[in-house]
Amino acid sequence: MEGEEGMTPADVALVLCGAVAIYAGIRVALEPDTLRKLPFLNVLSFAITGIIALLLPHPLGIVAAAAYFVGSTLESNAIASTYAGGLDRG
Amino acid sequence: MDIVLLTTVHILVAAAVCWLNFITIDMFFKLPERGGVVGASAIARHIEARGGSLDGGTMMGNIVSSPDASAGTLLAACGVFIAGIPGGLLAALLVFIGNRICHDKGYAGTTGCLTATFLVYGFTLAGFSAAEFIAGMVIAILSIQGISHVYASRVLSRIWRVRRG
Repeated sequence: MEGEEGMTPADVALVLCGAVAIYAGIRVALEPDTLRKLPFLNVLSFAITGIIALLLPHPLGIVAAAAYFVGSTLESNAIASTYAGGLDRG
Repeated sequence: MDIVLLTTVHILVAAAVCWLNFITIDMFFKLPERGGVVGASAIARHIEARGGSLDGGTMMGNIVSSPDASAGTLLAACGVFIAGIPGGLLAALLVFIGNRICHDKGYAGTTGCLTATFLVYGFTLAGFSAAEFIAGMVIAILSIQGISHVYASRVLSRIWRVRRG
């Protein structure tokens, strides 16, 4: 196929991460239970983190990807713990 | 061979390697045993309510709530893609900080990141691209968190029972 001749493995990985991100976004939207949305949101975060690293091949790109991932994980953590009735300081 | 086809095959192999890496490390660090935060246990109960398994659900809740070995594997692949082994080691440091930010006392994320760094680097010597491992890890986490929580939690519980003995 002509359009694919210039594709590199990073391009293929990028397309795949994008497709997974869209799929996960749809699953998040369709799941009615808030706590059960979070694993789908986790998949979305993985895909976006991958896209950030693939689009920003610069040493600070690693920091950007990790910062985005840890931030989104902390948000999921906070949402889940709030729904479960607050902080566990035990 | 067509580059897209070859890359797709590589990504599937990478997905299997990533899956084995993060499941092995997470099971070693006993993630299904108990929720690290109350939110993780709550996610587990909601997955169980839908017909899933509690132990596997707990591990899925822990994966959501703090960077575990799966996140470590992803960020290691990102680090190696950008800057080789030093990039993977930087990713491990960031995962370690991320664990502390998320009130996670464990070392599953950091350990998974370190093992994945050397795994991914080893595969790049064998003709793989680290980019394929980024996509592979996205596929691997999709298989656990993104298709069916009921079946994924049951599979994880089955592996956990074998590990627990």
